[in-house]
Amino acid sequence: MSAEALSALGLSLRVALLATALNAIIGVPLAYLLARRRFPGRALVDLLVTLPLVLPPTVTGYYLIVLLGRRGWLGAPLYAATGWTIAFTWYAAVVAATIMALPLLVRTAHAAIQSVDRDLEKAAYTLGRPEWRTALEVTLPLARNGILAGLVLAFARALGEFGATLMLAGNIPGRTQTVPLAIYTAVQTGESGEVLALIAALTALSGAVLVVAGRLGARAA
Amino acid sequence: MSEHLSVRLVKYLPAFTLDVAWTAGDGIAVLFGPSGAGKTLTLQCLAGLLRPDDGRIVVGERIFFDAEAGVDLSPQQRRIGYVFQGYALFPHLSVEANVGFGLRGRPAVDARRRVGEVLERLGLGALARRKPAEISGGQRQRVALGRALAIDPAFLLLDEPLSALDAPTRAALREELRGILAEWGIPAVLVTHDFAEAYRLGDRIVVYEHGRVIQSAPRSELLWQPASEVVARIMGIRNVLSGTVVKATADRIQIRWRGLLLEAVNSPTRSYLPPPESPIAFFIRPEYVRLIRKDRGAPDAAHHMNLMAGRVVAEADFGTVWTLRLRLDAPGPPAQGDFDLEVEVPRLVYEILEIERDRHWQLSVHRGSIHVLPA
Repeated sequence: MSAEALSALGLSLRVALLATALNAIIGVPLAYLLARRRFPGRALVDLLVTLPLVLPPTVTGYYLIVLLGRRGWLGAPLYAATGWTIAFTWYAAVVAATIMALPLLVRTAHAAIQSVDRDLEKAAYTLGRPEWRTALEVTLPLARNGILAGLVLAFARALGEFGATLMLAGNIPGRTQTVPLAIYTAVQTGESGEVLALIAALTALSGAVLVVAGRLGARAA
Repeated sequence: MSEHLSVRLVKYLPAFTLDVAWTAGDGIAVLFGPSGAGKTLTLQCLAGLLRPDDGRIVVGERIFFDAEAGVDLSPQQRRIGYVFQGYALFPHLSVEANVGFGLRGRPAVDARRRVGEVLERLGLGALARRKPAEISGGQRQRVALGRALAIDPAFLLLDEPLSALDAPTRAALREELRGILAEWGIPAVLVTHDFAEAYRLGDRIVVYEHGRVIQSAPRSELLWQPASEVVARIMGIRNVLSGTVVKATADRIQIRWRGLLLEAVNSPTRSYLPPPESPIAFFIRPEYVRLIRKDRGAPDAAHHMNLMAGRVVAEADFGTVWTLRLRLDAPGPPAQGDFDLEVEVPRLVYEILEIERDRHWQLSVHRGSIHVLPA
């Protein structure tokens, strides 16, 4: 494998792992809130989280630029204050992958949490456990397989992310060029032989992920 | 019995309003009524899992909820032992961890000792390390009780504790539950839609229907005299009849019914004194109607009170007993569709008296077996 391909593979793994970790940190509590709480704006949050699942990734990427780009709603003040922008850095690839993977995790975890018998939580409350402790000791352990399946799917999604990453992070070899981008570039320039190893690696990894997710899903049900 | 628990609740739901008030002493109060009457809703309000729209809940000296004063203790603060329908044992935790779940916050040594004590008392010692899925239904009931009792609750709430079991186990576990509750001596509120269960377990029975309490009485009084025709119907009481008052005194009521003059005993605990000519409902338990044997001479009024005569128009074999439907000889439309009285006789009596062949009988009902239902 060429040095460029190896760096793409390394970056892709790093981005996907970080995006998965962020999914666990943001997505699991979000899934719990959506499954168990009624709060104003709940439907809107649900919609915003799910949208990247159905929008063309480039459209999601566009919104991310509007939000985080150098002239974006959040990006502009950040740039003014620090002179730094996330656009065209590998952090941008992490953000894009996180947002694109989030609906997969949240929907899977939401369903798993919802399937936990509410009487178990009520029992924990009457036995003196506050809600957050009950979530950690009862709800999430019982929804574990569903949540893990969701994380595995999120990892796979993050690994294969293309459109939104291209929009926000660009396609800079050695810096923001992930495996899907490297493959695209190679094929476009007629050098697809270079990336056959990458294609094989991505296919094998995604296949393995589906098998693992399927096993977890079967155990959860 | 001191008043341990005082409950007044109003809860509005989209298609249902719960509006109940009752009190209970130190024993077991049973909330009895058909499904959907609001019994479980009441338990959830007592436990603090559901917030009532109005009312007041007082346990001993502690105010759990008071809409006017703005008091609403959380379920965590109330420390009530709740035994859920289906038990709600934590499936990922061992029997031991389930029982000890409510003891977090106590020193570990104390918690361990308490768990051991509870498991021992309930005969669960050998099952400490098993998961709930690995033990029987009856053992699960004991674990659920143990988990609730381990925290030394102010009282226990039990939601249909026997409904998860099959019929043969049910009767045995009903007795076991009765024993455990009596032994631990913790006041309890138990929900059931099974009258036998309510009667066997309850010191006080609170009858629910459509989100309201239609009677709350000590067990003995309830059976002696259900408060109304509705209660009688819910309890599955047969031969609920209506007649006209002739005369009512503190210990007797005379009733005109189907052209007959019946005499009933008035309630010993609270006499009911309706004016003459007012309508009155009463019931006669089918198993308390006597058929008069024809081989023992003519019936005499001194010995056989409330005499009547009629013909068997329908019958059904229930194995150990036969149910007969009789139509009285008196003219006029029958009281219950095409018959007047349902009578239950043991199988042996049915065979000895040859009821299959002989359809016309004289009947007598002791005055103590005619129960008057206040309007």
